[in-house]
Amino acid sequence: MIQKLVISLKKQPIWLILLGMIVLSSVFIPGFLSFGNFSNVLVQSAVDGMLALGMTFLMINGYFDLSVGTVMGFTAALAIGLQPYGLFVAVVVALLAGAVIGAINGFFVAKAKINAFIVTLGSFIGVRGLIYIYTGEQALVGDIMEFGMFGASSFLGLPTLFVIMFVLMLIAEFVLRKTPHGRYTYSIGGNIEASENAGIPVDRTIWLNFIICGLTAAAGGVLLASRLNAATPTLGWPDKNLMTIAVVVLGGTSLAGGYGNITRTLGGLFTFGVLYNILNLLGVQSYYNTLITGIVLILVVYIDAHIRKNKVSIG
Amino acid sequence: MQQAELMANPAEQRTTLMRRIAKATEKHGLIVAFFIVVAFFSIASENFLSPKNVMLVLRQVSILGTIAIGMTIVITVGHFDLSVGSLTSLTAVVVISMHDIVGPVPAMLIAILVGLISGAFIGYLVGYLRLNSLIITLGMLVGLQAIVLIYTGGKYTRIVAPDETWFGFIGRGFLFGVPLPVIILGVLLLIFSVILLKTVFGRQVFSVGGNPTASKFSGISDRKIIFTAFVISGFLTAIAGIIMGSRLMAAQNYLGQGYEFEVIAGVILGGVSLSGGEGNIFKAFIGILIIGILKNGFLLLGFPYYFQWVAQWVIVVGVVWLDVATKRGKVLG
Amino acid sequence: MQTDIVDIYEKAAVQMHPQKKEWLMKKTVNVLLVLVMVLCVGSVAFANGQQEADVDDGTILIGHTANNTGIDSYQTTHDKVYRDTIANTEGVEAIILDAKGDVAKQISQIETLIQKGVDAMTVWPVNGKAVVPAVKKAFDAGIPVIIVNSLIDESGYEYAVGFAGPNTYTEGENAAKGMIKALDGKGDVVELMGLPGYVTAINRSEGFQDYIKANAPGITILATEPTDWNRAKATQVMENLIVKYGDQIDGVYVADDNVGIGGLNALKEAGMAGDVVMTSACMFGEGYDAMEEGYIMGSVYQSPAEDARKAVETAIKAAKGEEVPFWNYFETPVVTPDNMKDFERPNF
Repeated sequence: MIQKLVISLKKQPIWLILLGMIVLSSVFIPGFLSFGNFSNVLVQSAVDGMLALGMTFLMINGYFDLSVGTVMGFTAALAIGLQPYGLFVAVVVALLAGAVIGAINGFFVAKAKINAFIVTLGSFIGVRGLIYIYTGEQALVGDIMEFGMFGASSFLGLPTLFVIMFVLMLIAEFVLRKTPHGRYTYSIGGNIEASENAGIPVDRTIWLNFIICGLTAAAGGVLLASRLNAATPTLGWPDKNLMTIAVVVLGGTSLAGGYGNITRTLGGLFTFGVLYNILNLLGVQSYYNTLITGIVLILVVYIDAHIRKNKVSIG
Repeated sequence: MQQAELMANPAEQRTTLMRRIAKATEKHGLIVAFFIVVAFFSIASENFLSPKNVMLVLRQVSILGTIAIGMTIVITVGHFDLSVGSLTSLTAVVVISMHDIVGPVPAMLIAILVGLISGAFIGYLVGYLRLNSLIITLGMLVGLQAIVLIYTGGKYTRIVAPDETWFGFIGRGFLFGVPLPVIILGVLLLIFSVILLKTVFGRQVFSVGGNPTASKFSGISDRKIIFTAFVISGFLTAIAGIIMGSRLMAAQNYLGQGYEFEVIAGVILGGVSLSGGEGNIFKAFIGILIIGILKNGFLLLGFPYYFQWVAQWVIVVGVVWLDVATKRGKVLG
Repeated sequence: MQTDIVDIYEKAAVQMHPQKKEWLMKKTVNVLLVLVMVLCVGSVAFANGQQEADVDDGTILIGHTANNTGIDSYQTTHDKVYRDTIANTEGVEAIILDAKGDVAKQISQIETLIQKGVDAMTVWPVNGKAVVPAVKKAFDAGIPVIIVNSLIDESGYEYAVGFAGPNTYTEGENAAKGMIKALDGKGDVVELMGLPGYVTAINRSEGFQDYIKANAPGITILATEPTDWNRAKATQVMENLIVKYGDQIDGVYVADDNVGIGGLNALKEAGMAGDVVMTSACMFGEGYDAMEEGYIMGSVYQSPAEDARKAVETAIKAAKGEEVPFWNYFETPVVTPDNMKDFERPNF
């Protein structure tokens, strides 16, 4: 059991880095080691975690989606703006909108075989336009108080938003490991031609993963909307998309596809969350804050590459 | 097409040119799409094809076009450079702040040096250490932006007496009625086309991007090629930063924010394959031009800005689809 | 040269016994992990040295979350003066954070500041509506919140103890007044706004448009285009607007002078500068010069230094439990070529 844990920790060193950060910060930073602070980190991770969840599917599949940031902003606006029609309608329409945008992206990538970078970059810009058209350039405020209270509530002592994200992550990990869709996703990411020859429904799987990514981005938007009880046109712009990809890569999922899982993404998510929390608790000047983020990104791929090499030599 | 004229020897000149034009219209939907876009805007807006507006659009795209040359080479060897936006801001800030201290020429040299260093750093990490270029250059995007802010302390920089220096001529001047930034871009396009199409280095670029394994067996050092590609990208971005600084005679911290996306979008629009091994600098420029035309054209039509963004989505995806579909002769893959 | 070295290294690695290679790799990874941790300790220890304000020895701890420091000189100067004021006030320390224009980040920062147990908090809202739940959280935790620079939504007034800052909507109105006066109540105007979706940009735009619509039926706003507070973008947008409208343009309204100088570059090249009336909602140093040269006809004087000092001052009062008035506007006088000698050139 312990041996197994050690092995999996060695495979996913991000957890070790995270552990090191937590231990050190607990010793040195007053206010870090407290329930309130951890609860903050968890609730702050919930939205980013939703985006990273769908992105993990896509990246294992060998693609990525640059539109998640503005899709999140757009669906947050829908979840707030449609509240006069009832909360249920608002949330369902928001999720549907995300799925539809994901389906559009997926169609162009899987069926029309256009490069995913340009397709999702296009929708990143286009959906930003939709946000401004829908909101009329204004921030929207929700009038259903319960929605905002839900965003601030706890479940079994943990922030509800985090619990939702965590449960969805468990389901996602199950889908990836135990269902045909999960196996197809790994297989296509590993070798698309071989998968095609093996009779795997390649196009359908890719398409589905884009829909999943759009859907989780929309779920992230809904969670964010309940946290703010409002939506502004600037949500998710300009760099949410790249930072989401960074979270997934930080966790150890390969950008080349075919390799990774949700547990890793969770590790990457927490590491970013804790790092950000530390920088804030310390009140590090924002320019240096930015610089540290940049250095961490470069260091992480550096470490990641060495682990990958190591893994290859182990076999 | 111009480069064909210049480079082929006179006897072959005509046939090469004709063959190229024929090939372009038959195989490349991009050219067709470009003319559709131009035709649409010239019908919809009377000002669009006026010489003044044409020069304006060319000058507006000249900065992105300069960066796009380097990006095309980087993408051709199979990588990304997301750092170009922040590097534009950095080099513009450097050239402006140094101008009043050391004079225009040294200031420009320092800015170019900054570009080269940044390019070499990325090139070393990606080429020699084999690290993922997307995340490395994302780190550089964030890191260089921070360096700009730390360097300026968040303030604007400007040239105190803009009328007393010739530095402004680079970005604002005209030569034979053509804006200087456009001429610089034209010269750079020619030089780098020659390099890509006529030199050993050029062939190696295509070889490394197209088939890394094969090129390794034929003894090409892909490390060196990738390294050089990023250095070129850094160099050209520095040139763009200098033009930008000279155009404004001032600089601010987020000047180049978002350029990386505009440039990559334009380059891919121009049919440069993201999987590497395929790239044409002139077509990449047409891609950049289409994006510039969309911005200019929609404003001339008087659309609110957010409709422009939606239209960009539709048109960019549409153009790439047309290009891809005509290449393979099928609508769906 | 480099290639050779790396190649030699790689050849050596290949020749090495496989197990040894593996061991080497593992070592490298371990060393790197340690490096990261050391870096963490380093930064933590470094910052810890700076921050020993948590001890309850009567020092007042103030938290601040800014909108987007560095995006323009105004916000940079605000940040600098805020820090200086804190440093020069005895018995007061501050944690100064920056939301980088992201409202979700700002909410996290407010939560962190609550967690830190600050005695009072100043918030420069990224968005006046979306920060309300977070401000309520601080209110529930018993921490007085002062909203600075830009207002929050009315629904949040009850959770804040006060507002300190300029009235950005009035600034738009004042620029409109200047425009109406200079154009004699009739003409065609284009507007270069800031970054769409941000509260200052929205207020300055709405203040201008509302006032023009209500008071000057003879003035038409031909176009409103975003510039993202970016001078290069402002130049481009103005160039395109000149192609579209040409001599039809009688006036240009700009959201601040940085955007204004960008627009002016284009106007100068088209030979239209000086003939076209330009008014601005916020005066910067270069705008002051441009007004001296006769290019800008009306502007609004808003001092980031005063803005920051007012914020700190109000926060200290609130932290001490003193009563503060809710509205702490500071003056943003109108500057015209006639009265500009009464004002110092802004140093930002």
